Amino acid sequence: MFSKIEKNPALTLSLITIGFLTFGYATSLPKITDFMIFCIFVLGFDLIYGHMGQLSFGHMLYLGAGSYGTAMFVRFVSQNPFLGIICGILTATVLGFILGLVVVRTSGACFALLNLALNEVGAFMVLVPFPRWTGGEDGLSVSFDNYGFLNFGNPNFLFYFVLGSLLLVAFLIICFVRSPYGIFLKATKTNEIRVQFLGYNTYVYKLTTFVFSCAIAGFAGALNTVNLYYTNPSLIATTRNVEVIFATLMGGAGSVLGAVIGGTAFMTISNYLARYIVRWEMFLGLALLIFAFRFRKGIWGYVRKA
Amino acid sequence: MVQSILFGLTIGGILYIIAIGLSLTFGAMGIVNFAHGLIYAIGAYALYTMLSKLGTSFIVGALVAVAVSIPISYIIERFVIRKLYGQSIDYAIIATYAVLLIGVDAIKWIYGPNPLPIGDPVGTSFRVLSLEMPVYRLIIIGISVLIFAGLSLFFKKTMVGKIVVAGLQDQEAVKSLGIQVEKYFAMVFVMGSALAAVGGVLYAPISTLDPYMGFHIIILCFAVVIVGGMGNLRGTAIAAYALGMVMAITGRFWGPAADAMIYVVMAIVLIFRPIEL
Repeated sequence: MFSKIEKNPALTLSLITIGFLTFGYATSLPKITDFMIFCIFVLGFDLIYGHMGQLSFGHMLYLGAGSYGTAMFVRFVSQNPFLGIICGILTATVLGFILGLVVVRTSGACFALLNLALNEVGAFMVLVPFPRWTGGEDGLSVSFDNYGFLNFGNPNFLFYFVLGSLLLVAFLIICFVRSPYGIFLKATKTNEIRVQFLGYNTYVYKLTTFVFSCAIAGFAGALNTVNLYYTNPSLIATTRNVEVIFATLMGGAGSVLGAVIGGTAFMTISNYLARYIVRWEMFLGLALLIFAFRFRKGIWGYVRKA
Repeated sequence: MVQSILFGLTIGGILYIIAIGLSLTFGAMGIVNFAHGLIYAIGAYALYTMLSKLGTSFIVGALVAVAVSIPISYIIERFVIRKLYGQSIDYAIIATYAVLLIGVDAIKWIYGPNPLPIGDPVGTSFRVLSLEMPVYRLIIIGISVLIFAGLSLFFKKTMVGKIVVAGLQDQEAVKSLGIQVEKYFAMVFVMGSALAAVGGVLYAPISTLDPYMGFHIIILCFAVVIVGGMGNLRGTAIAAYALGMVMAITGRFWGPAADAMIYVVMAIVLIFRPIEL
């Protein structure tokens, strides 16, 4: 039954909508807005981990790029939030393209570690050299113009805007995965050499996927800035990469619903249970060990089989 | 400038001592071992405990610290790493990273989250020596060269070393000779971890201890391993000293950029020499 949901995009999207609407009105809208933004990020990450089959340990870099792109644009150029979001996405995309030219050539351990190293450089660039522009340790606080009902200060509007963005991203990814391109990507994940042997240039396809994933991460970062009215170096911190990996593994890699479930589950744990979990990192570590050894398919992977 | 070169050689020596274990596990087992950073931190914290709580001398403290790291690294090898042989590298990265997280949190639990300053007995015991001539740094350089020479001999002359070198080249062939390569790799793993603890012990007096020190050093060491080539023992040594120099010279002109520069160098190396793993 559950595998049918996955095969039907309309069903998947409406399930996500109903789920978040219920969750949102049952708890509080601003909190669930955070949840959905994180889900967008997880969706972007899953595109390289689940679909392309490469583990990146530095995807926070692109989240941070999107967040800082938006914040700096709004702070120094124009207070239009929509242009700001576009600028954030563009920042992450361009950065992802430039770095992707190098990063995508590697794979496996090298890929993970190179991303981690580049993320470290990014965090350094934000923290140290240009404190006048990036705000250094304190980050940037921003304010936005509003146009009638298009007011990001209104939690209702923000909630529906983010929900719409999440659905858009989920829809794009579903289309992407179901297209011949996505099937091609699956083939590359399974056996890259064989695909090359068939005469395809896998590098270009992987690069495109990587850039797409970076753009989505940048979108999540931009939404984060719009949501919180500030950005700070914790959005680009290397130590937080483990959160998105955790969420992806918990939900189940390689599926849109898995990513959304994982993102929601992680945010639920970190928002509601963190109070009771005194040793947070130890908890994360133990849970990750369990995922890596016993629970590789994630929540959705097990539900789907039922 | 002489100061910078000396500093570069010191950092290079420390990086070499830590990275060599990483390079071996990388090349031999195809496992990215984040837990290596944990052993490094445990070495440093064990030394701190010995010096400040039990009041032993530095040498005794250092020996105990290295001795403590051996059973811990064996436990990590037995219960985490060994289960990951031949599996997807992603799970190895995630699992060892999880071990690092657990260990870091345990350190925070025991010692508190604040950095422990250099002003503890570790620092003072060497302050006299490091007034004009930083003798301690010379000692570090000396020890790293000794370890390099010792390891070279170990891999050339002893049976275990030869088996490991052969295993790095072609695991299947060594196995077909009836040798249990895994057993030897486990030995090398523990040895490499002990060296990480040595690195922690040596570096502690010239830096501060904080629970996240393992995170920081492990990324630098991965850069060394990637630049030097996975499982390439001589490459690792050259890369460690070269990157140590890069760090020192960058640090001389612009302090905070020293670490970032290493990753830039690593990226440039990767552009011109892509590594397929």
